[in-house]
Amino acid sequence: MTERMVTETGTVVLVEESHALPLVHIGLSLRTGSVHDPRGSEGLMRATARLLRMGTRGLPAAEVEERIDALGAQLGVGCAPSYVHVSGSVVASNLEPFFALVCELVGAPALRASDLARVKRETLAELSSLCDDDRSLAARNFRAFAFGRHPYGRPTTGNAQSVRTLSRSQVLANYEKHFVSQNVVVGMAGAVSAERAATLVTRYLRLPAGRGPSERVPPPKLAPGRRVLLVDKPERTQTQILIGTLGTHVDDPDHTALQVANTVFGGLFTARLTHEVRSVRGLSYGASSSLGHDRERDLWSMWTFPAAKDARACTELQLRLFDEWVHKGVTASELRMAKSFLVKSHAFEVDTAAKRLDQSVEIEVFDLPADYHSGFVSRVQEVTVASAHAALQKRLSRRDQVITVVATAKELRAQFAKLPRVEKVSVVPFDRV
Amino acid sequence: MGEFSFGGGLTVARYRLGNGLSVLVLPDHSAPVLSYHTWFRVGSKHEQPGKTGLAHLFEHLMFNQTETLGAGKLDRLIESAGGETNAATWTDWTHYHSELPASELPLIARLEADRMQHLLLKKKQVTSEKDVVANERRYRVEDDIEGQVSELLYATAFTKHPYGWPTIGWMKDIEGFTTEDCEAFYRTYYAPNNATLVVVGDVEEADVLSLVQEHYGPIPPSRIPKLKAKAEPPQRSERTQQLHRPTPAPKLALGYRAPSFRDRDYPALALAGEILFGGRSSRLFSRLVRDEELVADLHGSTAPFADPGLYEIWLSLRPGRELSVALAAVDEELKRMCNKLVPMAELTKVKNRVELGFLQGLETAGGKAEQLGFFETVAGDAEVLFSRLDALRAVKPRDIQRVAKQVFDTRRRTRIEVLPKAEESA
Repeated sequence: MTERMVTETGTVVLVEESHALPLVHIGLSLRTGSVHDPRGSEGLMRATARLLRMGTRGLPAAEVEERIDALGAQLGVGCAPSYVHVSGSVVASNLEPFFALVCELVGAPALRASDLARVKRETLAELSSLCDDDRSLAARNFRAFAFGRHPYGRPTTGNAQSVRTLSRSQVLANYEKHFVSQNVVVGMAGAVSAERAATLVTRYLRLPAGRGPSERVPPPKLAPGRRVLLVDKPERTQTQILIGTLGTHVDDPDHTALQVANTVFGGLFTARLTHEVRSVRGLSYGASSSLGHDRERDLWSMWTFPAAKDARACTELQLRLFDEWVHKGVTASELRMAKSFLVKSHAFEVDTAAKRLDQSVEIEVFDLPADYHSGFVSRVQEVTVASAHAALQKRLSRRDQVITVVATAKELRAQFAKLPRVEKVSVVPFDRV
Repeated sequence: MGEFSFGGGLTVARYRLGNGLSVLVLPDHSAPVLSYHTWFRVGSKHEQPGKTGLAHLFEHLMFNQTETLGAGKLDRLIESAGGETNAATWTDWTHYHSELPASELPLIARLEADRMQHLLLKKKQVTSEKDVVANERRYRVEDDIEGQVSELLYATAFTKHPYGWPTIGWMKDIEGFTTEDCEAFYRTYYAPNNATLVVVGDVEEADVLSLVQEHYGPIPPSRIPKLKAKAEPPQRSERTQQLHRPTPAPKLALGYRAPSFRDRDYPALALAGEILFGGRSSRLFSRLVRDEELVADLHGSTAPFADPGLYEIWLSLRPGRELSVALAAVDEELKRMCNKLVPMAELTKVKNRVELGFLQGLETAGGKAEQLGFFETVAGDAEVLFSRLDALRAVKPRDIQRVAKQVFDTRRRTRIEVLPKAEESA
């Protein structure tokens, strides 16, 4: 059971104690993320988070990295649309100096102009490297194409143009707005007691009192119709295909029913999509579907990567399977199988202290119901064929869909234009990042 | 047959059945889960030219049909039980692993023993799985620059030894496999005396043994052919290749002939690699990424192979940067390691990092099972997992210097360069 405490300044502290190994995982999570980046300044939150690692006034970046490595620790900084995560692992004997260092980085970063310039150059190099990764190219273009001008469509990394314009004053203002006591959740898992964690937080975490920004992004909408985006890259023998539509909100009463229905469709190796695409036809090495969740409605999507010569056939098959699934729902035996998997595999969601902590942190950061994870099994057991079908019909659109394909466009553009109900095929070059 | 301590109050029991099956059992009651691994001592190095990729294709086929279970039934039974199953193939081994709730031990023991002896190979399934593997190859190699480079690096460095061909196989070989090829491979290599079973989790040793005896005991052993892999002749001069690809920035791959995972110098080379590439304070990361901003991404590691392999270095440059400048910087750092003893504080730092990685690898039942199976299969003894950690702790600066001099010799290097190719878009 995760211990939950709140400091005098309102920082939530979560601790999952386990002495199975002499190891401690720590994390400082912000309840806000890149969706707060102003238009034209995409990449601001990520750059701010990365600057934390560049040191404090008395501690240059190189010294920070020396200390982390010398302590036998690992540190990572991640930025997502709705949260920022500074997390690390350390051998238990070095917990205190490591936690002190992380608190210093988060609470008193130097945020130097010279380091910002370095972060910007690094980010531009990463955007360039992204062009070599077809799967990442597909994911980035898919979200931008699906959400358009909505904040969910903005790339967390930013784009080459927005990153170049980021200024130190923007970073300072962004840091002051978001890095405040009530906007941070501290988590520790492993060989540490709740009492020791509380002592360490009190001793080392110094953040100004205050709440984070309260504004929320508006509910996203998809443009009407079935739209196709080809990300044009030369010499592709294979494609990366993402097809999706809006999914559910975690507060929707049918959220769990849709999760179970998705497990039937593409959440298992034996699911319909994988079976038909891979096992029966050998069209793609992988085929799966997933239901994203965030503070607002996120995307439901399916992913395959067939050979270029099979791309249209595979897409047509996927669209047909999707239509049948939403229209006719799931069978009793499929539902039984999916429920059995989700109920029994739940043991693997909580088999380590770090995983149990992650669940508690997620509840805090996303303001999820307290029983979002602990009540999952019983909610799954309540799903029926009828409720799964109703959720599919109510939540997933058979009309408004986005299809993103990384491929050599000259070979596939005409083929995708002939897909049913496709009015337009847009093309962007792969290296426009 | 024996036991050894795993640390944290846990003990590994070791058995061998009459038919030669090795069994390692590690009861760990920290979570109600189970990890069940089967390691076969067959990988791509056991293949023949013209038949490359057979071990990997066969790994796919093992998920199909047996005499008693219809196509896809194995996956359905495991997923219905709340489990997940997968497999991997590399040069020296093929590894099947399933993670399940602990109560499903009888199910997985029955399923794994069944496919070890009763697999059915049908033309339709072999044909379909060849298409899947061809797609996997496009994904991992044809359309992935790092995959292409890695394949070319090994093909150039190894002219005789089977490490020169890719585990996934050459495309023309994948397309040419017949059901008979697969059948012969199965009868030759999938036998209890060529396998190690590793069971970790919330189980009792006696229950595991009873089930293993019941399901595997009747399986007859096979005559496993002695591997006649050709030894790779010494490399006496640098080999280079160049590729032009649609990429925004140049890439560089280097491969130095390196000792095998079993070699006593392997721990020192692993630590040398940590000094060069481990973490952001490492020598090459801090110089090439942070200080000189030459490189966007880099990594280096030694292939954990049973026979001598390569120490691989990969650099993806920033756009506009010159390969020759990056190569000169790498050469300089490697030379420094050969010429000057590593300071004790730096060595202690990387040992701490390695220890953290070791602990992280043992957090889950699956992690423990994988480590035990890997060491049993590649090092020849699972207990080496712990003596290897001791060996790492014992490495001295002069060991690093000696091994660096031996390995980082440009005459024993293979170099692959990738240069951006301008291409018209549609």
